[in-house]
Amino acid sequence: MASLAATFGRGAMTNGWTDVANADVVLVMGGNPAENHPVGFRFVMEAKRKRKAKIVCVDPRFTRTAAVSDCYVPIRSGTDIAFLGGIIHYSLRKGLYQANYVRQHTNASFLINEGFGFDNGHFSGWDEAKNSYDKSTWQYELDANGHAKLDPTLEHPRSVFQLMKKHYSRYTPEKVAEICGCTAEEFTKAAAIICTAAAEDKSGTVLYALGWTQHSFAVQLIHAAAMVQLLMGNIGMPGGGVNAQRGHANIQGATDMGTWNTLPGYLKIPRANMASLDDYLKANTPKALRPNSLNYWGNTPKFMTSLLKGYYGDNATKENGFGYQWIPKAGETENYGWGYMFERMLDGKIDGLISFGMNPVANGPNTTKMLAALSKLKWMIVAENFETETSAFWNAKKLAEKYYPATGEPSTIATEVFLLPASCFAEKDGTFVNSSRWLQWKDAALDPPGDAKRDQEIIGQLYTRVRKLYEKEGGKAAEPLMNMQWNYATPLSPSLIEVAREVNGRDLTTGKQLNGFGELKDDGTTLCGNWIYSGSWTEAGNNMARRGQDDPTGLGLYPNYSWSWPANRRILYNRASSDVDGKPWDETRAPLRYRNARWVGDTPDYKADAKPDAYGSFIMLPEGVAKFFAADLVEGPFPEHYEPVESPVENALHSSVNANPMAKIFHAPMDKLGTSKDFPYVGITYRLTEHFHYWTKNTKGSSELQTNFFVEIPDGLAKEKSIKNGDPVRLSTARGHVDGPALVTKRFRGLQVGGKTVYQVGVPIHWGFVGRVKGPLINNLTASVYDPNSGTPEYKGFLVNLEKI
Amino acid sequence: MIDRFNIKERFIHWMVAICFIYAALSGLAMWSRHLFWIATVLGGGETVRALHPWGGIIFALALGFMFRNWASQMKLDSDDKVWLKMSHRYAMNDEAGVPPSGKYNAGQKMLFWMQSAFTLLLFLSGMILWFPEIMPRTLRLGAVLVHPLAAIGSIGGIILHIYMSAFAVPGSLRAMTRGFVTPGWAKAHHRKWFQQTTKIEDERAR
Amino acid sequence: MQTVAKLIDTSLCIGCKACEVACQEWNDQEFTLGTFGGTYQTKPELEHNFWNLIKFNEYETDGQLSWLMMKYQCMHCQDAGCMKACPAPGAIVRLDNGTVDFNHDNCIGCGYCITGCPFDVPRLSPTTKKVYKCTLCSDRTAVGLEPACIKTCPTNCLTFGTRTDLLRKAEDRAVELQADGSTHAGVYNPQGVGGTNVIYVLKDASNPESYGLPKDPTIPWTVSLWKGPVKLLGSVIFLGGILGTFFHYIRFGPKLEEEHPDD
Repeated sequence: MASLAATFGRGAMTNGWTDVANADVVLVMGGNPAENHPVGFRFVMEAKRKRKAKIVCVDPRFTRTAAVSDCYVPIRSGTDIAFLGGIIHYSLRKGLYQANYVRQHTNASFLINEGFGFDNGHFSGWDEAKNSYDKSTWQYELDANGHAKLDPTLEHPRSVFQLMKKHYSRYTPEKVAEICGCTAEEFTKAAAIICTAAAEDKSGTVLYALGWTQHSFAVQLIHAAAMVQLLMGNIGMPGGGVNAQRGHANIQGATDMGTWNTLPGYLKIPRANMASLDDYLKANTPKALRPNSLNYWGNTPKFMTSLLKGYYGDNATKENGFGYQWIPKAGETENYGWGYMFERMLDGKIDGLISFGMNPVANGPNTTKMLAALSKLKWMIVAENFETETSAFWNAKKLAEKYYPATGEPSTIATEVFLLPASCFAEKDGTFVNSSRWLQWKDAALDPPGDAKRDQEIIGQLYTRVRKLYEKEGGKAAEPLMNMQWNYATPLSPSLIEVAREVNGRDLTTGKQLNGFGELKDDGTTLCGNWIYSGSWTEAGNNMARRGQDDPTGLGLYPNYSWSWPANRRILYNRASSDVDGKPWDETRAPLRYRNARWVGDTPDYKADAKPDAYGSFIMLPEGVAKFFAADLVEGPFPEHYEPVESPVENALHSSVNANPMAKIFHAPMDKLGTSKDFPYVGITYRLTEHFHYWTKNTKGSSELQTNFFVEIPDGLAKEKSIKNGDPVRLSTARGHVDGPALVTKRFRGLQVGGKTVYQVGVPIHWGFVGRVKGPLINNLTASVYDPNSGTPEYKGFLVNLEKI
Repeated sequence: MIDRFNIKERFIHWMVAICFIYAALSGLAMWSRHLFWIATVLGGGETVRALHPWGGIIFALALGFMFRNWASQMKLDSDDKVWLKMSHRYAMNDEAGVPPSGKYNAGQKMLFWMQSAFTLLLFLSGMILWFPEIMPRTLRLGAVLVHPLAAIGSIGGIILHIYMSAFAVPGSLRAMTRGFVTPGWAKAHHRKWFQQTTKIEDERAR
Repeated sequence: MQTVAKLIDTSLCIGCKACEVACQEWNDQEFTLGTFGGTYQTKPELEHNFWNLIKFNEYETDGQLSWLMMKYQCMHCQDAGCMKACPAPGAIVRLDNGTVDFNHDNCIGCGYCITGCPFDVPRLSPTTKKVYKCTLCSDRTAVGLEPACIKTCPTNCLTFGTRTDLLRKAEDRAVELQADGSTHAGVYNPQGVGGTNVIYVLKDASNPESYGLPKDPTIPWTVSLWKGPVKLLGSVIFLGGILGTFFHYIRFGPKLEEEHPDD
């Protein structure tokens, strides 16, 4: 999500599931939607059936998606940037890109400062001693007004286009084959199909998921895909886009509502050096980099002020900076991502943890470390439907001693654990925000069983009781809590309808619900819990509960079905579906048309009544156009192929810089890394269609469909090791091991990489030491290695050994 | 009066007979929808389906005992071979030139061997059909043919057997119910046996 | 009433098993844990309480690997081997809409249908001692609903309709697939059993075995022989035996002792 925000302006699936049916080419890579998003996959099959779309599947494994694809290319886990870099090279060399789109809607024509370059694994500005980059050479060359200089001919050697051409000149099909382990022919066959989307009247979509996000260079990888899509002119087009398929029913909503480093609506978290609201707004309100940039984030003061009014109500006044001082500030450069959090916990710096719908022992890399970290807590609250590995972590020794011999006996663990029975999704109302950014309101199907309580009641009780304690006894930093607005009709269990109305926002002078974020003000007269959700519950009612199936554009946008952020827009960046004069690239597939001085069709991602050439088409970015060159990313403005931190081979492009120099690797004693001498094979982890995460091992149906954990092994390797189907095997890494029966398959191919055969071995997630069906936690294997931008662990591509037991 | 079958022989024979009749009737019920009414009479389709194999097993076991007891007496001698050639004359009650029989005539001996063979086939194919879930498909496909064919042969033979013993040769039934026959009967139908037994009695008398 | 059918377009099946779950749920089947069979398949084969199974086959030809996934269940044959083999009147019935349905009140559990079926579909329950299989959701179709598997299929791989319509649709789809490069694409509607009410579109119809479907299924010849000529033979022998002996008695009478003169 971090990558898409940097490239296009928003961190979300650009199009939507229903829109995939409009595609002519579907590149599935870093995802396995046939297995993990089977319902959404219907639209892929529709594209195949109705538009004769070609499906290209690039994956280490021959998956169920590969089984229905027109072209499958096996690659070694973690070599996706090499593959996509190869596509960029192929497209530029053969002239297979949508030239007008690239010129009009991207920063290809922008000039970069003197001194920018890339040499032997590092971009310019690398500081070996500090292990970081000085990004000054990565900036645009600005004119006197602070606007970026352009060369519309794209010929200037310092134009982004020429720099890109130069950077990817190394990614020849042969190099791609050498790195990825496919053949050059397989690569060019796929490249040719992908590049058919370069035609103005053709669209190609990219579907990806955790196979891309779970690498130590994940954000760069997704940026590479975005670059391919920009070259093909596929962003903003129906049937185009870079479509992130979220891994949980409401994970899009969870990200939209804030993470450790963002407030709701992707407003950045205040840092310690931003003492006042003014400081904050100055630091976080971007300036336009082009005269025609709409620069929508320029409205940050309206969003932030309205959010503060939502938090603190009447207590937020202009005089007190709308209560800005009550928001906790993150240290100036501190990181509180997953890896850092558990590192701190392990160091004994965290007293307590509230885990809501989260199972860190199962989810987090290096389970042994997770167990050790939790045992350093004084207390932990787990709100869940089932007993989880996390709530039972203290008993791991007894429940799974084989895997955790070094873990302490229950008697030695002092953490006090509270397991609060919580309701499941079907037992509460509220919304799911899906990958398509649709907020879909649902009703509770039944009441929670027994003592189980709905989340809002657990939170309401917790808040009310802690507040009472403060009232009675006082305490540190009371203001944020005491000044919070909690004026719900039932404070102990706020109704989600009230909350949803608050999230939409209202005008405090009239008391009316807002129609959208366009009505937000920075003077404290509007309140809004999340600006991007504004418009979801207007005076007209709950738009999220709509189920209208009319489709006026005929493109499957269904504008009256639920409500889509932002502003019920179904295709993000849809202004880019036509050229600078407003002429659609493809007349048969125009989500937006400029008629009678207005844009009609989908909600325009543009000023609704502005002339086609008035503004740049990517309104969220200061550039006003999409970015090939993205200096926001920490390891370089162009994606470069780096090996996974644990890799069986040397980086074929620059052996001196093997892995991502900026990857975050933790070095606690239990964070061991292995080498290919001891662990010669590549391990990957994945989900199966039969299960959902670590949850359905508790349910009857899924446990029947796939009762057993297994280790998926290429038949070549099985032959070498005389392993037969069903034989018990052990897969081990420097961190731990898992045992299970072998599933020997042809669908995993031995790959020729750098002159040797590299085998990959896979394990499905889903099992654990509690539940109706049990099995090993595969995160026994994985390492505390993270992407530096997003903080996502490298769950794909680590070194393993395989033994018959 | 001359003893022909002792109590043990009679008991086994009737055991075989009862089980055979049950197995045959229940089998017929499951053989054709037109005969399914037999199942209704015998307690319903499910009962019939459940008991038929057991009836068959007891039948086969009892027949096994019978076989052990009688097999040695059932060997065909030279007279029997001639008898078989002349069997049409025997059938037409014109027995001139039909050689005299021992305790069993050649027809009875043939029936014995045929019924034994059919029973073996019925038993084997029946076991296969009993467990359709376990038995290999090819065996089952063979068994569905062998079982009815063996049953047809077997029932056909029994029809003849019943006719002969109950109607065609008066006095035979008593041999199997009460165990003895008249000297006249023995002399008329099993002369060699009659001569043998009377000789033995004569010797005893001396 | 028109014959209804199910069309399975294997080119659109993603092996998601939603049909398996829908089948289990709608038919109130008990969920049981499985043992590891070395594949992605839920069970090695159909079970008495598991009527809808997606078969997964890894198939390699000319170095080209395919992973064939195909929903397997009762084919509702036009000339059904199970019906032919069944001795119990009313146990296997053909509904007005062409569905072959089992009526368990009448089933005696002999298992002949298992042998009669060329697709190896019916399964005997060890507890009820009756035989079970897909009913084409006759309780749903009776009230105008599509079968549960069809309702749940996310990719439109499964469609429900009249047999005539679906056959046409299947042919059209096969032509489409041929044009798209699958030269051997075709319709699987085997004539050996008079055609089936479950119709497949296969990407390679020349080799249905690669999917786990029999190539030219027919009612086994031994079953046909058994239910045809052998039955006739039996009737002849039984009736012939009874009548023959009766007339023998009338013509020749019993063998009387006096007829044998003393020598």
